[in-house]
Amino acid sequence: MTITATEEQRVPARSAPDRQRTPRASFGRILDAEWTKIRTVRSTTWTLSLLFVVSVGLTGLICWGVAGDLAAGGTDESPGAFATWGLMFGQIAALVLGVIVASAEYSSGMIRTTLAASPRRWSVLLAKAFALGGLLLVLGTATSVASFLTGNFFLGQEGVGLALDDPGVLRTLFGGGLFLAVLGLFGLGLGMLMRHTAGAVTVGIALIFVLGNLVGLVPGALGEWLTKLMPGNAGGSIAVVESFNPDLLDPWVGFAVFSGETALLLLVAGVLFSRRDA
Amino acid sequence: MITAERLTKRYGDKTAVDAIDFTVEPGTVTGFLGPNGAGKSTTMRMVMGLDRPSAGSVTVNGRAYRDLPAPLHEVGALLEAKAIHGGRTAYNHLLWMAKSNGIARRRVDEVIDLVGLTDVASKRSGGFSLGMGQRLGIAAALLGDPGVLLFDEPVNGLDPEGIRWIRTLIRSLAAEGRTVFVSSHLMSEMALTADHLLVVGKGRILADTDMNDFIARNSAGYVRVRSPQAGELAERMTGQGWRVERADDGAMAVYGATAEAIGDIAGAHGLYLHELGGVQASLEDAFMRLTEDSVEYHAGVPGAAHAPDSAADQTHLTPAGV
Repeated sequence: MTITATEEQRVPARSAPDRQRTPRASFGRILDAEWTKIRTVRSTTWTLSLLFVVSVGLTGLICWGVAGDLAAGGTDESPGAFATWGLMFGQIAALVLGVIVASAEYSSGMIRTTLAASPRRWSVLLAKAFALGGLLLVLGTATSVASFLTGNFFLGQEGVGLALDDPGVLRTLFGGGLFLAVLGLFGLGLGMLMRHTAGAVTVGIALIFVLGNLVGLVPGALGEWLTKLMPGNAGGSIAVVESFNPDLLDPWVGFAVFSGETALLLLVAGVLFSRRDA
Repeated sequence: MITAERLTKRYGDKTAVDAIDFTVEPGTVTGFLGPNGAGKSTTMRMVMGLDRPSAGSVTVNGRAYRDLPAPLHEVGALLEAKAIHGGRTAYNHLLWMAKSNGIARRRVDEVIDLVGLTDVASKRSGGFSLGMGQRLGIAAALLGDPGVLLFDEPVNGLDPEGIRWIRTLIRSLAAEGRTVFVSSHLMSEMALTADHLLVVGKGRILADTDMNDFIARNSAGYVRVRSPQAGELAERMTGQGWRVERADDGAMAVYGATAEAIGDIAGAHGLYLHELGGVQASLEDAFMRLTEDSVEYHAGVPGAAHAPDSAADQTHLTPAGV
């Protein structure tokens, strides 16, 4: 590209200090900036598309596959366990998006620009959490509703469909959004803590998906409680009409536990963030 | 105005910045010169509140960076080329920055224009060349029309045209009364842009001086003379108490004299001169000597000879590749 070098040296003269206009990097502005950041990179579009397509697609697929079996009574499972089944996989995208929102700042070095613009680090973290959480709440709810409608369509064809006023159905529709939003924040916390995309995604998947199943192998009551309290297990119940595992915490109790764990993670990440060199 | 007091940064038992004091004044370009690893970038990051000092303090306009209500309006920084997310367009990068500090959208267009990125404003910055990335970084630094500007190694990796562009820009920013703090590991670059010089080595300030003073004190200048009557001329010059050395190519290097004085001597004795010119010893060498051994610097300044005439000065100061 050609750049006009010498004639471009005109820097607009500094306006005389205008004291009426006392600009402030207020929280609202930092939030606006963080929201602008999230919506202007393609990774956001990609992860959210994946979240939607995988969740809705897999739910449709499994419901289409098991509806006949369920109708014939060939399985002990209830239709409610399948109605949003795809979210189990789609949720990985929410976790990854949360991680990226934090870790991409470090992999690109942009964290320095971010903190030069808004040096109050707790405000930056909070703004990121609001922007990400809000986005995932809306798209997560849409995903959850679309998954349910798709899955339920196939279940309904075999006469095992659910009605909106069946127990847990409404809770599931909104719970999906809540769960995905908090899961994204969990990823944000991990990303902030580890400052490395691959590392944080690996740890996140291990904590949410792998360890959640493995701790069940610990014998006795300890194993039972660990299973109940692992973040993925505790939080996931709110996003399904009925859980495959009957020993998990009650959906809302579980969600409260998961939110608490996420808050704790963000708190630790925030303390380190505000202390560490950028 | 940037003020550092006993500013210190330690990493474990390694001291990167060792209790330095300095002031960067408005209206001048202050060069921050030192070899790689001298603590320049660490210092600049501390100015920006990115790294926390282990001891001491640094303020911008009398306040710690973290306490600035809208920092982009007061401080602009080009910290390194890669402080930008490559997946975002140049425009959007500047847009989120503008939003964070309540800067009007039209100012984004203005700075894009100013740095000459108008044609690629809607392209993702990941595909930018080093020079374009640097221009985007400068647009970001100028976004809030700040009175204090920091440039960390701004010419690194740029082509000659880009180097000249940045140099002129830096000079004009200072001419407008802004405080400009530029780091570099190239003495030749500093000689062309800076009015004031802070030399650092191993985390300490080795020199805090006016640029012209530094040049005068640290350059062992001599006058290069060629004459068909070299023998006689050498005798006359030695007779004046000047030191004369024979160069490999038959010319002579005369120390302690000005070109005018030598010309006068030759003329007075009817001697022909085929060449006469002042030669500035490389400032790069002076800088190397300075940073090599910081203790010796204060004891004795090498070669406090007469500065050769200024025309020759300029030619020899201009670094290679410009």
